[in-house]
Amino acid sequence: MKDLAEIMKLTMTEKKDILYSIIFGFLAGITAVGLFAASGFLISKSALTPPFYTLIILTSAVKLLGITKAFARYAERYFSHRATFTILSNLREVFFSKLEPLAPGIFQRYRSGDLLSRIVGDIETLQNFFLRVFYPPIVLVLVFISTILFTMFFSIYVALVLVAGLLLTVFIVPAYFALRQLKIDYNVREKRGDLSTEVTEFLYGFRDLKIYQKVYGKEQSLTQSSDAYIKQQEYENSNKLFSQSVNSFVSLIISWLVLCLGAYLVIEGHLEGILLAMLVMISLTVFEDAAPMAAFPIYYQDSKRAANRLFETVEKKNGGDNTDDKQLLNPNQSLMIDIEAVSFSFPNESRQTLRDVGLRLPAGSKSAIVGPSGSGKSTLLNLLLKMNTHDKGDIRMNGQTVRHINQESIWENTNVVLQENHFFYGTIRDNLRLAGDTITDSEMVEALAKVELSDISLDNEVYEKGGNLSGGEKQRLAIARALLKDATLWLLDEPTSSVDALTEEFIYDHLFRQAKNDTLVLVSHRLTNLDMMDQVIVMDHGSIIESGTFEELMAQKGYLYEMKQIEKNLL
Amino acid sequence: MDSLRNIAIRYKQQMLALFILSVITAVTVILQAYFLVTIVDRIFLKQQGFSGIIWMLLGLFIILLLRTAATYANGQIGIRMAANVKRTYRKALLHKFAKAPVKQSLEGQSGGKVSVVLDAVDEMDSYFSDYIPQLIKTSIIPIVILMTVFTQHVNTGLIMIMTAPFIPIFMVIIGMQTKNKSEEQQKKLSAFSGSFLDKLQGLTTLKLFGRAKEQQEDIRKSSLSFRDATMEILKIAFMSSFMLELISMLSIGIVALELAIQLIIYEQISFFTAFFLLVLAPEFYSMLKDLGSAFHSGRGSMGAARKVTEELNRSEQQVQWGSRRLPVEIMPAAIRLDHVSFNYGEGQFSLYDITSDIPRCGQIAIAGRSGSGKTTLLHLIAGLLPPSDGKVIVGEKPLSHYIESDWFDHLSYISQQPYIFSGTIAENIAIGGDANASRFQIAHAAEQAGLSGMIQTLDKGYDTPVGEAGRGLSGGEMQRLALARAFLKQPAVILFDEPTTGLDLETERVLQSSMKQLEQNATVITVAHRLHTIKNADKIFFLENGRLIAEGTHNELIKTTPEYQKMVSVQRGVKTE
Repeated sequence: MKDLAEIMKLTMTEKKDILYSIIFGFLAGITAVGLFAASGFLISKSALTPPFYTLIILTSAVKLLGITKAFARYAERYFSHRATFTILSNLREVFFSKLEPLAPGIFQRYRSGDLLSRIVGDIETLQNFFLRVFYPPIVLVLVFISTILFTMFFSIYVALVLVAGLLLTVFIVPAYFALRQLKIDYNVREKRGDLSTEVTEFLYGFRDLKIYQKVYGKEQSLTQSSDAYIKQQEYENSNKLFSQSVNSFVSLIISWLVLCLGAYLVIEGHLEGILLAMLVMISLTVFEDAAPMAAFPIYYQDSKRAANRLFETVEKKNGGDNTDDKQLLNPNQSLMIDIEAVSFSFPNESRQTLRDVGLRLPAGSKSAIVGPSGSGKSTLLNLLLKMNTHDKGDIRMNGQTVRHINQESIWENTNVVLQENHFFYGTIRDNLRLAGDTITDSEMVEALAKVELSDISLDNEVYEKGGNLSGGEKQRLAIARALLKDATLWLLDEPTSSVDALTEEFIYDHLFRQAKNDTLVLVSHRLTNLDMMDQVIVMDHGSIIESGTFEELMAQKGYLYEMKQIEKNLL
Repeated sequence: MDSLRNIAIRYKQQMLALFILSVITAVTVILQAYFLVTIVDRIFLKQQGFSGIIWMLLGLFIILLLRTAATYANGQIGIRMAANVKRTYRKALLHKFAKAPVKQSLEGQSGGKVSVVLDAVDEMDSYFSDYIPQLIKTSIIPIVILMTVFTQHVNTGLIMIMTAPFIPIFMVIIGMQTKNKSEEQQKKLSAFSGSFLDKLQGLTTLKLFGRAKEQQEDIRKSSLSFRDATMEILKIAFMSSFMLELISMLSIGIVALELAIQLIIYEQISFFTAFFLLVLAPEFYSMLKDLGSAFHSGRGSMGAARKVTEELNRSEQQVQWGSRRLPVEIMPAAIRLDHVSFNYGEGQFSLYDITSDIPRCGQIAIAGRSGSGKTTLLHLIAGLLPPSDGKVIVGEKPLSHYIESDWFDHLSYISQQPYIFSGTIAENIAIGGDANASRFQIAHAAEQAGLSGMIQTLDKGYDTPVGEAGRGLSGGEMQRLALARAFLKQPAVILFDEPTTGLDLETERVLQSSMKQLEQNATVITVAHRLHTIKNADKIFFLENGRLIAEGTHNELIKTTPEYQKMVSVQRGVKTE
């Protein structure tokens, strides 16, 4: 309910279009009733051979009403649809803006295929909220009340029958189907989500599926998901059809009752015979728009469910959002970083990923963090980036505690290369331009040369997720992107793991030259180039087990020395 | 592929049922008008008592019930038919994707393909659930009404015949325009869904570069342009119903005027006839109008159907397979590359004319700098890509002569980033081998791959779920999981992509020892970066820019190939000491 209120709030931003929709909707409805009332009256009047001018007045009235009705209907449709699509656009934006702050964390919880289907599918569903849930009942009730008031003028009994009809077709029958709806859970959207996730996974995992010969099996299971989805759709549609049929039958019966009652009243002399045709026509027309109300609960439920799912995705509290993070970093000086007794564990995980980590990175220093996979190196880097927030201890940058520093301010002052770097569908140029809008082509070409990618043209096409680039190319492109960004803190997570040693050497040369006065942290699995570093930090199982210069550690013959021996033997 | 009309024709029984129901509906329309008018006539003009109409009222009640029931049944048939068509087409699409070679799954945006499978197929619905039932209704009911009208009053019939054609003419004109527009909209929808997925997946990168906020603007813009595109189509649709409404209004007006003149001035017809015709006239025009609106959604379906058909008809280089059994006893067989070439398309990367031999149980290393074509060559040998030219020969025959599953039964591929499927760890290991592998066999494979220690620390052990693209596992764990798959499978050919990249030393050690174990009974082709791998190789393929510039053992290449020598000398780590 709360979520639907949120949608309602979004809907209300389009006040003008809503008002127009209601006004024109009412106009269209009431002129339709007027039109048929007038023609019923016209034909009855003709039977009594009236003066010719009466006929002309009546005919003109019918014409005028007809044209007004057609025009009002057009306007109603135009405004209501425009409002709907604008609301949808606002909704996408709002959803994205809510999702965006949760960004790195939320991907640990949701599969992106699922996210996609949620946003696209659920937002599509919500287009029915305004079009079929929000404004039509308002229009319908307005038209009904006016019609009933008009009818009362001729016969209070007929008016009462219409009131009963209004209650039945707008409230009671839809309510009955709403109850049914509660009992039967339509999970069309969920089935659609399942299918979308599966198709996405099928496309991304295709090579492994092919080799392990699971393509056929996966195809079967996809077909099953598709069938389940179609079955749900079929079920939903046929239920919709059924409730619509019931409602239209009920409304026909009301008109039938009007006819019975009208006939009786005429026979008893309580009603003029000339009005009988008119009243029946009024009743037939006014209920024409009521039949779709039977589908109201379906749309209402659908909208509610879609809204719940959308907001449920983004409403869960994430560790990252602190309210008092207004402080900014000074961009013009290289950073000194103090890490004091920091511990961290991921939500829903009992194991601590980092345990009591303490460390100082002086301004302008170059540090390497080494250690086996899963030792917490990348997590430590993520804490520095404030992508996660530590549970215990403190991290300070130039004396400011990270808890109070604005996330974006940290990112703005950092050149980051992560283990997995995303590349977007487009060209190489588009992807490099992320680093800044003012970067010229020649600067980009220069950066590409520094990572030995001179043979790639800026106009080369990049597939989604960089699918047509090799691992090494992606890493080198990511480094080029960082080189173009020009910030004073470098956080590099295994930036050259897929690059051969010769190229790595070449790239580091340029990188260290550009980062000469900057603070730099390099997470690496390779033990090469460590002598270029001011300090080497060795981690294992979430703790720092040794640190010092490369020479010191080698002389100490501890963990690093052991690792180095193994690496040497490998070579 | 068939047009939607041809598909519809195939549903003969449903078509017949729709036809019969439409005839029933037509009769109820006539009778409903007849009863209604008779009742009013008897009460209003003939001033009869209640007994004079009681049977009429009862008859009207039954007719109303019958009409509703016929409409309901009509709709049901449409829904069933639509579900059937969607089922068939989605199945065909999935089958097509399943048959595609590996590179095709990266071509274009996956989000776009997802959208074709989901949205485009869904949009085919309305053609069958709306348009076809309405089309049949409209081709029967107005004619029945017209025939009835002619028996009552010829002039009215003539007016109807003359005015009615305006409705389909307008419909056709407007429909033409909508058709093109709707296809345009399909493209936009597809592009929108593709770029959205891309943006979601790249959200972390966007945030780091401070670009996420402006994506919101981007989404707004594309969303609004999507709205405007949709509104363009809708405006035409609304305009057309506006026009149709005007036409029918005008026509009913003419009918009414003529009737009134006949009734009052010439006193040629009775009140009964006039009222009867006046009740039938709106039914006649609204039937035609309804076809108009059904026509629009039908048109939308055709655009979607085109999209689906396009996807189904797209010709692509498929990997060819034959029907010959791959004899188990020859595995691991010698593999010969006979002038193998491949290109990814005009102006894209190519692999040129590679000829060489891979001996039985040979240890082959493919070396070269990144982007030299190592992975492409591996994909060609794996049978994941079709050679544009030349052959991969296994044993005596080209790979394309063998049964696909026979070949893959003998093959393991350990890639840089093994794909981890959503499921449990046990399921992910079992995907490598026999689906009925026992928990004991799986645990044994995990043990060999050095994974069991990690698994034991997990609360749910082998039943721990791992997510899309293996979230929650470290790179080293993913590699070891891929090894465990291979241990379970015991393949004759192992393709091994960049074995030691980005891994911790423990995993590297596990890899070395595991590979030693696995290569005892298998041909191993490795894309290598590490000196020890190439030193131990029986043969090294040294690639540069898609060409095989040298092959031989490490010692041979050191002497003959300066580029190789240069690469190796840095590999040795000049600066480490």
